[in-house]
Amino acid sequence: MTQTDPAPYGNDSDLTRPAGLDLVHWGYRHAYRSHFAVRDLSLTIPAGQRVLLLGASGIGKSTILEGIAGLLGEQMGAQGLDVPEGQNEQIVEVEDADGGVTQGRILIDGHPAGGVGGRVGLVMQDPDAQAIFQRLGDNVAFGPENMGVPREEIWQRVRESLRAVGLQDLQLTRSTMHLSGGQMQRLALAGALAMEPGLLLLDEPTANLDPDGVRQIVGAVREVLDRRDSTMVLVEHRAQPWMDMIDRVIVLGLGPVESDQGRTGKRDFRRTVIMADGTPDQVFSDRDLDLASLGIWVPDPYKGAADQVGPISPHARSGGGPGSGLGDPILETDELSVGRDGRSIASGINLTFRQGEVTALVGANGAGKSTLAMTLAGLMDPLAGRVVASDRLIRDDGDARSVAGGADPYAWKSTDLASRISYVFQNPEHQFARGSVLGEVMLAPLRTGMTQDQARERARNLLTRFNLIQYANANPYTLSGGEKRRLTVAAALAAAPRVLILDEPTFGQDRTTWTSMAQLIDSLRADGICIIVVTHDMDLVKALDARLVYLIPDRPGAGKVSGGPVQSPDGPDGSRPVLLPVAAMDQRDEPPRRSSRSAYIASINPAFRLIGAFLTALPLLISLDWVSATVALVLELFLLMAAGFTPLRIVRSAWPIFLGAPGSALAIILYGKAGGATYWQWGMIHVTQRSLDLALATALRILAIGIPAIITVLGIDATDLADAFSQVLHLPERFVYGGLAGLRLFSVLRDDWSALSASRRSRGLGDENRFKAFFPQAFALLVLSIRRSTTLATAMEARGFGGTEERTHARVSDVGPRDYVYLLICLAVPVAALATAALTGRISYFGN
Amino acid sequence: MNQQQTPTKGTEGRTDGAQGTIRIHHSNRWRVVDIAVASVIGVASAVIYWVVAIVTTVPWSLLDGIIPGLAGILNGLYLFAAPLAIVIVRRPGAAIYAEVVAAVLESLLGSQWVPVEVFLIGLLQGAMAELVFALCRYRRWNLPTVTLSGMAAGFGCWLYTFCTHLQAISPAGPYGLVYLVTTMISGALLAGVLVWYLYLAIARTGALDRFESGRLPRAGKEEGTVE
Repeated sequence: MTQTDPAPYGNDSDLTRPAGLDLVHWGYRHAYRSHFAVRDLSLTIPAGQRVLLLGASGIGKSTILEGIAGLLGEQMGAQGLDVPEGQNEQIVEVEDADGGVTQGRILIDGHPAGGVGGRVGLVMQDPDAQAIFQRLGDNVAFGPENMGVPREEIWQRVRESLRAVGLQDLQLTRSTMHLSGGQMQRLALAGALAMEPGLLLLDEPTANLDPDGVRQIVGAVREVLDRRDSTMVLVEHRAQPWMDMIDRVIVLGLGPVESDQGRTGKRDFRRTVIMADGTPDQVFSDRDLDLASLGIWVPDPYKGAADQVGPISPHARSGGGPGSGLGDPILETDELSVGRDGRSIASGINLTFRQGEVTALVGANGAGKSTLAMTLAGLMDPLAGRVVASDRLIRDDGDARSVAGGADPYAWKSTDLASRISYVFQNPEHQFARGSVLGEVMLAPLRTGMTQDQARERARNLLTRFNLIQYANANPYTLSGGEKRRLTVAAALAAAPRVLILDEPTFGQDRTTWTSMAQLIDSLRADGICIIVVTHDMDLVKALDARLVYLIPDRPGAGKVSGGPVQSPDGPDGSRPVLLPVAAMDQRDEPPRRSSRSAYIASINPAFRLIGAFLTALPLLISLDWVSATVALVLELFLLMAAGFTPLRIVRSAWPIFLGAPGSALAIILYGKAGGATYWQWGMIHVTQRSLDLALATALRILAIGIPAIITVLGIDATDLADAFSQVLHLPERFVYGGLAGLRLFSVLRDDWSALSASRRSRGLGDENRFKAFFPQAFALLVLSIRRSTTLATAMEARGFGGTEERTHARVSDVGPRDYVYLLICLAVPVAALATAALTGRISYFGN
Repeated sequence: MNQQQTPTKGTEGRTDGAQGTIRIHHSNRWRVVDIAVASVIGVASAVIYWVVAIVTTVPWSLLDGIIPGLAGILNGLYLFAAPLAIVIVRRPGAAIYAEVVAAVLESLLGSQWVPVEVFLIGLLQGAMAELVFALCRYRRWNLPTVTLSGMAAGFGCWLYTFCTHLQAISPAGPYGLVYLVTTMISGALLAGVLVWYLYLAIARTGALDRFESGRLPRAGKEEGTVE
C-alpha cells in the first residue's frame, strides 16, 4: 500500500465523491500475445465528467476499462512495487502472474488503480456472467462484504442501490434465474453502486438487451448520475440513448507504425492514439473524421445521409408486402405449440416461410424467440401441432432422395436435416466441432456425402467470400467475436441448406462488421434461401426489409417493474407485423423456499446437517452384518418419520439407491467371500451361505447409509452451506465463495450441454452413437466452462473479491445447542446399531 | 513440458529484469481465476459424470457379464476431474479442491448420488491424484506424471469401493484383482493420457491464456495463418 487512505471504508463522504482519472503512458499486453492491446495512452478525466469512449472493435476499450478497474496486471507504485533506481517509471514494464505486461500507470485521484477498493464500479456486457449468487440481494451485498463494510450498513446499501436502479419491489430472496435480461443488468449495476464508487465504468452494458431493457438501464444510470455526480466512462457501439448525459466523447485509433529495438530484435508497433476528443457536438460534427471507417454508429441528431440505415435491396419488396419474397412456401407451421420442459410458451402458431424471404422474430429477452426458432429448425419437439416441410424442401435438389420422417424436420436424421435447415447459434462456441477453421466449414459437406476435394473447394470459396480464408488453419476458438460469428454462418451455408436460421447474427458487432453481416444475409436472400433471424436489432430488420413476427407477452402485467410501456410493435414503414402472443415471464413473488420438507431439519445449520450425515454413515462401515444394518435402518426410518417424512416421500426421494443396492448385492452373491454350504460354483462364481448372508447385510447397509444422507441433506441451499463453511467451520473464504460461484454455473453448463447436443444435430453429427459423440461434446463443454469461469473471476474481482482485506458477512450462519443435539442424535443411531450387533454376537469387522 | 521454474515461497517474489522489465514470478498462491477455473472444472465434471452414468449403464452390465470386474475399465470416465484441474491450474491442492466442489454439487443435487459417499470417494480420488504431483513438488507437468496421477486416482476409486460396498468381496481374490487392474488401466488411460491431450487441446483454443499451463505452441490466429 502506498499513500492510500488507511481505512478500507471508513470516511464515506470522502470515498463516494466523484473520482478523477489519469492514464499516464499506460499500456497492456495480454499474456501470450505479441502485440499490446493498448499502448502508451495518456488521458485525463476530471472528477464528475461523463465520457463516451469510442473506437473500432479490437482497439482495446474493454482492456482500458479493466485496467481502470484495477483488474489487470501490476503497476509501478502499487502493491509495494517501487520504480527501480535510475529507471524512468514511464518506460518500466511489469510482467504479472497472468503473463501480461503493463506499461505506465493508471491513477484514480492520484492513487494507483486497484489499490483503492470500491472507488471504481464496473458493469460488463453479459448480465449472466455478473450474477455470482442465486439470490438477488446477495449479489448486491457481495461488493460491500468484500470491502469489509459492517453488516447493518451492507443491507442499508443494498436497499438504496436496488432503489436507485428501480428493483426495490423485488424480493431480496428472488432467484436470479427468474429475472429478465434488463433486470439482470440493473442488478449488476446495483451491485456496482453498493460499493459506492466515485467512478462508474460501463462496458457495453446494453449489448445483450431488448429495447425495453436498454431503456431500463439507461434510465437507471441517468438517475444515479443525477443523484451522485459520479464520474462515468461508457463504452458503447450504439450510444444513441445515452447522448443526453454525455459531456465528452473520446475516439480512439491507432497511430503510425513505429519500431523499437527490443531484446528479440526489431519490433513494429502502433500506439493507441486519441483521434478526436471534445463535446459530442464537436466530435460528431467533425467532417474530417471518418467515423464509419472507425466502426462507429453516429447518434441520430448527427447522422448524415451516409449514416442512415435503409433497406439494402429495396427491389426485394416488389413482390407485395414487405419482404414477402417471390418464392414458394418452403416451411409452414400448423397450429404449432412450442415450449421448454413441457411448459408451453406459445400455441396455435400458423406461419408460412418462403424462399428468398427474410423473416425476423423479435420480442423481449426470454420471450421464447429461440425456442420457436429451434422448433422450426427441427431441433426441438413441438408440444402440439406440426412443423411442415414442403415437398421442395424434402426432395433435395433433384437427387430425389426421400427423407425418412416425412415432412416433420424433428423426425429427420441429423445428416438429412443439416443439408436442408441450418441453425446458427447465438454463442458460436456451442457450434465448433473441428480443430481448424477450414475443417469447420468442410464438416457439413463431408457429412452429407461430398468428397474431400469437393468439400475443400466449397469451403475455401465460402471462407474467401466471408473474408476468413487467411485463418483457414487457425483454431476456430482463437478468432475474434465477429470472426467467430461469420465462421458459424459460413459453416452453416456449406451444407447448402434451403432454410437458414440465425440467432442474433449482429450481436456485439461494430458498424463495419455489422454492415458486412447485413449485406451477406441480403445476398443469401437473393440466392433464394429462406432466412429466419432472431434479433433485437431493429436496424437489421430495416436493412433487410424483413417480415416481422413479433412475440408479445400475453399479460401486460409483466411490465410492472420495467418502467415504460412496451414499444409499439409497428414494423418499419408502419407495416403491420405478425403478432404472436407468448406466455409472460412470471413476475409473482416467490414464497421463500424451506431448506427441507421437515421443519426440524430445516432449522439445523447446513454444515451440521452434512456433518450429521457423516456421523451416521461412517461408523456403520465398521461392521458388515445384517443386525447392525437393520437396527440402524429401523431407527432411521423411525426418526425421519418423527421429523415429518412419510415412508412414500422417503422412497421417492431416495429411489436410486433402491435400484443400486441390489446390483452390489448380486456381485457379492456371485464373488463374495465364501463360507458354509456351497450352492453353485462355476468359474469365478462361488455362491455360498456366507456370500448370501454378506449380500443381504451389504444391501441393508447401503440403504442405512444412503437413505438418511440423501433425505437430511436434500434441499440445502448452496449459499447457506457456503456461509456455514466460512462462518461455522472457518474454511478459507476465497475458496468457499469461489466454489459457490462455480456451483451457480451448474445450470448454465447443463443448458450448454443441451445446446451442444442440438448444434451437433443441426450440423449433421447427431447420428453418431451416444458413446462416440460423448467425447467431443465433453471437450466443448470443458472449453466453455473454462471461459465462463475466467469471466466469472473477473466479475468477482471487479467487486473487490480476492483481496487480503478482512471480509464481513451480510448473512449470519451460527450454531446453538439445537444443532449439537442434532449431531448427537445422528451419532446415536450407529452407536445403538453397533452395540446391538456386539451384544448379539453378530458383529463382523469390515466383513471379515 | 517441464516447467523448470523455481517457485518462490510464500507470496509474490520479484526480480528486476533487464531493460526495465520487472517480472512477477510464479508463486503457489491461488489467484481468483485459479479458484474459479478449478471449481468450474469440478462443476463441469459433475455434469459430465451425470451423462456418463446414463451412457454407461448398458456397457457396464455387458462388460461385467463377460469377465467379472472388467467393467472397471469404464471407471476412468469418473476420474478425470482431479488430474485435469491440477494440470491446468497448477496450484497445490487443485486436484482435491476440484473433487470437493464436484462432491458438494452432487450432494446438493440429491437422489442421483449419496452425499456422504461422493465426499469420501471424491476426497480419496483427489488426494491420490494430488499425491503424484506433490511428490514431484509441483514441478513436473508432463504426460508421465498425469498418467500416474490418473492411475493413482483409479487406485483411490478401487480402494473406496472395497472399503465400503464391496467389503464382502476379497480385494485379493480374482474379482478384486481384475477390478483393481482394469480400474487403474482405465484411470491411466482415460484420466491420464486422455486428460493430457484434452488439456493440450483446451490450451490450443486460447482458453488458458491467463495460465502458465497455456504457454505452448498453438495454431492460433497469429501463428497459424496461411497465405
